[in-house]
Amino acid sequence: MPPRKLYFENVRVGDELPAMAKAAIDRVQLARYAAATNDYNPLNVDEPAAKAVGMPSVVAPSTLALGFLGQLVTDWARGGQVKKSQARFTRMLWPGDTLVCKGRVSDRWGEGGRYYVELDVWAENQKGELVVRGTVLLKAFYSFEDETRFRTGQPPLIVTVPRQATLAAPPPAKAPPSREPELPPTKAAAGKAAKGTPARTPAKASKPAKSPKKGR
Amino acid sequence: MLDRSALGRTTPPTLNEVERGAIRRFAEALGDYNPIYFDAEYARASGYANVAAPPSFPISFAAGSDLRELVGVSSRNLLLGEVSFEYERPIVAGDRLLVTSRVSEISERPGPAGRVEVAVIEDEGRDEEGQVVFRARRSYVVRATRES
Repeated sequence: MPPRKLYFENVRVGDELPAMAKAAIDRVQLARYAAATNDYNPLNVDEPAAKAVGMPSVVAPSTLALGFLGQLVTDWARGGQVKKSQARFTRMLWPGDTLVCKGRVSDRWGEGGRYYVELDVWAENQKGELVVRGTVLLKAFYSFEDETRFRTGQPPLIVTVPRQATLAAPPPAKAPPSREPELPPTKAAAGKAAKGTPARTPAKASKPAKSPKKGR
Repeated sequence: MLDRSALGRTTPPTLNEVERGAIRRFAEALGDYNPIYFDAEYARASGYANVAAPPSFPISFAAGSDLRELVGVSSRNLLLGEVSFEYERPIVAGDRLLVTSRVSEISERPGPAGRVEVAVIEDEGRDEEGQVVFRARRSYVVRATRES
């Protein structure tokens, strides 16, 4: 059976991706992920080594959550191509954490026969705390007809669609609805480490920019 | 302490052969059983040239760049704060990518608990014709120690 496709014409700004719940992260998964990435950071796979630096247990590599977000997007995009992605890690991941990945269409536009969909994506742990958030840029066919043209070597369907988020007021909140990150539930080293300010953002941005929600 | 002289340091190109088995194990480790990662026919019907690699698969290339060699601090003392990727095309099984990593930033900035050191590494993967296939950017902060 041919895979179903996602077409640009069916996507609207504000559409939500079906939330994806992942099974609890466990140490077997960490071992497999270490092997798959060829990265055997002891803090991810060696319990005594992790405890020696003051952590309660091994910690999961944050890129694992990135992989989960990739799954969320790829499942939804069905044939749409990921062109760009960006993610910021706001909280450490631990064995036992159960993540739910979510996403929302933040923008869409088309020019010169190319069609793009922009997504806000994020993942929350079982306490509803934000662990990672980011954006993804997808390229998709406008429609079945556009795809058929591509496959038969014809020029693309050209529909000019301006960026939507800039038209709609107010733009959808860049940050997902979630609690602000706090210190992880650990003391000492782990806690300090998790507060590390991600690069390329002002110091303040370690809190999601969602001032509209603050007053609640 | 990050090696201040690391800025601009670049690894020699490392050949990464994208193997089907490696893609399968990566997808399985994520618990992601999308057939585009396992079934070449299904992947082709979905528009890929072969079994596709998950979007975060380039993470597995990064091991070619030893962080201690690159920036003077080992990975256990670095915390990944932010990553980004750009793909010219999907990475698929059979790709042979030459990957280089370059230290593009070594800096210090104010953090909530004092100043934090930041290292940014940019990776680039090219096919054998020299065409860029993906770019990645990894931003690390030096993990605070227990004493600080």
